[in-house]
Amino acid sequence: MSKVELHHIWKIFGPNPQYVMESLEKSASRADVLSQTGHVLAVRDVSLAVGEGEIFVVMGLSGSGKSTLVRCLSRLIEPTAGKVLINGEDVTAMDEAALRELRRHKVSMVFQRFGLFPHRRVVDNVAYGLEVQGVETAVRLAKAEQVLQLVGLNGWEHHFPHELSGGMQQRVGLARALAVDPEIMLCDEPFSALDPLIRRDMQNELLHLQQTLHKTIIFITHDFLEALKLGDRIAIMKDGEIVQLGTPEEIVARPVNDYVREFTRDVPRAKVLTAAAVMNPADGATAEQSVTAETTLEALIPRVLSYDGLLAVLDEAGTVIGSLDRRTVLLALAEG
Amino acid sequence: MGQLAQRIDGLGQRRGGKRPFFPLILLIVGIIGLLLLAQAVAQTDNFAETWNLGLRDVLNEFKRWVVVNRNDHWLFVFFFEPLSAVIDFGLRRVEDLLLWLPWPVVIAGTFWLGERIGGLRLGLLTAVCLIPMGLFGLWAESMQTLSLMVTAVLFALALGIPVGIWTARSPRAEKLLRPVLDAMQTMPAFVYLIPVLLFFGVARVPSIIATIIYALPPIIRLTNLGIRTVPADALEAAEAFGATERQLLRGVQLPLAMPTIMVGVNQTIMMALSIVVIAALIGAGGLGDVVLKSLRRLQVGSALEAGLAIVFMAVLLDRLSAALTHLERNSQPRFKGFRFFSEKQRHLTWVRRIEEVIETIYQACGRYASWVNAQVGRVVKDGRMGQWVRRYPNGVALLLTLLLVSILMRLLGLGDFPRVLRVDIRGVVDGLVQWMQVNLYDIGGSGIGTGPLRDFLIISVFQPLQHFLAEQLPWTVVAFVFAFLGYQAGGWRLALSVLGLTLLIGLLGMWPFAMDTLAQTLVAVLICVAIGIPLGIWSAHNDRVEQFVRPILDFLQTIPIFVYLVPVIMLFGTGSVAGLIASVLYSAVPVIRLTNAGIRSVDETLRESATAFGSTQRQMLTKLEIPLAFPSIMLGINQTIMMVLAMVIIAGLVGATGLGLEVYQGFANDNMGRSVEAGLAIVLLAIMIDRITQKLAEKTAVSANITL
Ligand SMILES: Nc1ncnc2c1ncn2[C@@H]1O[C@H](COP(=O)(O)OP(=O)(O)OP(=O)(O)O)[C@@H](O)[C@H]1O
Ligand SMILES: [Mg+2]
Repeated sequence: MSKVELHHIWKIFGPNPQYVMESLEKSASRADVLSQTGHVLAVRDVSLAVGEGEIFVVMGLSGSGKSTLVRCLSRLIEPTAGKVLINGEDVTAMDEAALRELRRHKVSMVFQRFGLFPHRRVVDNVAYGLEVQGVETAVRLAKAEQVLQLVGLNGWEHHFPHELSGGMQQRVGLARALAVDPEIMLCDEPFSALDPLIRRDMQNELLHLQQTLHKTIIFITHDFLEALKLGDRIAIMKDGEIVQLGTPEEIVARPVNDYVREFTRDVPRAKVLTAAAVMNPADGATAEQSVTAETTLEALIPRVLSYDGLLAVLDEAGTVIGSLDRRTVLLALAEG
Repeated sequence: MGQLAQRIDGLGQRRGGKRPFFPLILLIVGIIGLLLLAQAVAQTDNFAETWNLGLRDVLNEFKRWVVVNRNDHWLFVFFFEPLSAVIDFGLRRVEDLLLWLPWPVVIAGTFWLGERIGGLRLGLLTAVCLIPMGLFGLWAESMQTLSLMVTAVLFALALGIPVGIWTARSPRAEKLLRPVLDAMQTMPAFVYLIPVLLFFGVARVPSIIATIIYALPPIIRLTNLGIRTVPADALEAAEAFGATERQLLRGVQLPLAMPTIMVGVNQTIMMALSIVVIAALIGAGGLGDVVLKSLRRLQVGSALEAGLAIVFMAVLLDRLSAALTHLERNSQPRFKGFRFFSEKQRHLTWVRRIEEVIETIYQACGRYASWVNAQVGRVVKDGRMGQWVRRYPNGVALLLTLLLVSILMRLLGLGDFPRVLRVDIRGVVDGLVQWMQVNLYDIGGSGIGTGPLRDFLIISVFQPLQHFLAEQLPWTVVAFVFAFLGYQAGGWRLALSVLGLTLLIGLLGMWPFAMDTLAQTLVAVLICVAIGIPLGIWSAHNDRVEQFVRPILDFLQTIPIFVYLVPVIMLFGTGSVAGLIASVLYSAVPVIRLTNAGIRSVDETLRESATAFGSTQRQMLTKLEIPLAFPSIMLGINQTIMMVLAMVIIAGLVGATGLGLEVYQGFANDNMGRSVEAGLAIVLLAIMIDRITQKLAEKTAVSANITL
């Protein structure tokens, strides 16, 4: 069972979404819906499943519906149609109280524009989630201090958010989400407001946290390199739909269309692609040398430069799963 | 650049676009037609008695019914009486306390409050404002006014904030309430006294009720605004963490709306003060009563003393509550304890010396506070009290000390403001007034002076104008002109409603009085505009002038409306002219302000491009600045007109004729019906003028592509 499952989620913005939903031809595109009904089709029939402990990245251009999709998950935005399951429970059927419980204990969120409370000190911001749960003051403050330590903000507890830099504010946002010990974290472009250096730090911090705390993280970005770095799997959205879903290499190696290929263009392919992603299927031809499946193209280049023959690709068990040669590698590098 | 082109475009449209050509012809034809018609059907030039709604008798009948049934009808027994009782109870407690507290304790407490909110300077300012009240021998009256204020404002906040919250959460409620609030804010303060008088009679409770109602709109409005403008991302974050509605309100919305709500509190306080003073008319007592009685007896000196006390009260309340609106959020403890002078002055030795003295006093106070606290800590150890004591060490120490001092001083009989400290300015002022009456009335027999000026204004301006409007001009023509203005400003709907309103004024039997008030209003507004617009332009072009004018305008806006009458009758005696001068002083402020603001907000790039095309200063003003500032100026004129109207009506108290005097005489002769009729006429007139000028301002704004 997956941690989070979305089944055929639709979201239509406008005065009468239900009516549009019913009268909609299932093949109608966003532009059609807008011109015919004046409604915005923000999310269009999205289904996906996220496993426990996975970092699942949603990416796409501005306006592609990422924020809307993720907000549908904890019903900060009510989906027009479809079903959301968390731990197998139907979120879309929950009443107010159950939903509140879910938000308090299971799912927490980091916001693109921080969403900090300007009138509360850093420590009270971080303790907010616990405060609404009714946790005692001493306990929640202790927990907040502990989480602030984790994100490297000890010493700043009693400042107000506006006294902190952007990167620090974002870490407060992260700490606030972590303080409630959620099972699932939703991160809506948490790093897009940061400068490149802080951003890299924060990415590393997130990966580090993930290794120690094993949360299930759904992460939005429109930076493909960030998606590659963080994501176990990536879903690429366009006009409210998922156009491709797969591991980073799958997407770099085999983009389904130009929209996706456009993202992959600036990717340092040599660093991302592995032998397994570019190899030809094993066809019985014998090879004299071999490489492991995880070898990156970067590491393959010297090999194929010095050897102009067929290389067998081996999986962990040592069985041959495919082959490649200098031509294969060059083609893979040139593509995109 | 696109925006620039668009704005210039908008201007061009305004100047070269549709001219009101057709309606102008319509106007001329209409007036001629109506004049002929009026000639034909003679006697329609005045609203004849036969065309009267006869509201007066009905109301007087009702008043009699109220008097008879006050003791046993359920409406009184179960609604008005309990309401009165609650308010009366609150008022008495506050008043008992303030009158019991010895005067030094009140001053010390105020100082402390000011210091906490806005630092040493504010503390000193507020404390100093209290002293003249004692010096003039008006301490008890001042405390009475203060208790009326405190009670009324507390009730207003207790009512207004929840209503504001409600309107912020329910669009339905807002839609329902908005026109009501709009109407409430166009009605002059004076009018509020009438209906409460009808139900409660003359006493202090009705004046508090009138005050509460009058002061409600700003707190409702600004609570609503504050909550509505809470950033959406903070709300979403709170929701995402599973906050309940209640937690959302208390933990996020209210705290974030607080600065805006405090602006509302400030406005509510100032409005309450302005009406509490007028409410002396219906028996509120306090400082207003002193002013009123002195004015009636023409004792200008003592009226001025009380007037000054009111001004000091106004400054005190205004600065205190205004300081609440910009409390900062800062992690550093507010280290302004012992700063009195600015950083720049600290190199001067004597400045440093003074600061050192202040610092020493502060530290001594701190030591004393911690000593008291230690003693208290021994007695109250735990529980809520204990927590409280630990949390506010200084506050607890201070309260205890003040209480102790109070008891001691009362026991020693030292609580009242000492008579020896009496400063008498009334003798001087009365002498001055006499001197002025002798010497300024007609300076050297030259025909120049206050007397001839007054006579000129009355005989050559007011009376002819009033005569012209009310008697020579058939009412049909006046109504038609109003309707025409309405049409120009807001189309047929406004024209029709304006016509309806004018007719109603006539039907109330108030036509001549309304025309009288209108005449005075017109003259005062013209003077205000003639002074205000040039002054506004000048201060927009010259920073020095602005710096000089701004504090004066601030001060003028702080003074309650009633007080303006006092110095004016020193010069001009009672009557419409005093009202006129007071109106000008009171009402010119918005025109000056908004002209200045309008011109200053003209885009620099536009100025640059105008200069690039070789505009002269004069062309810049007439072709660019004034057209662009026009909507803002119109808004200023709108506000000025409303203020003039309010003042012209209050001037009824000092004998200015018109609707105000009608209301007042109704009070005096126990003819409630007459008061209500006149009050209604005031409201109708106010709404009519307000709608027309407001719409005009909006319209000019739209055609110049400017958002107000
Ligand atoms: N409250 C709303 N009302 C109407 N339309 C909305 C609303 N919120 C979002 N939309 C529309 O839905 C579409 C998707 O918006 P969404 O915010 O999900 O995009 P996004 O992928 O998160 O973009 P970005 O990267 O800029 O954050 C957009 O076209 C937007 O205009
Ligand atoms: Mg987004």
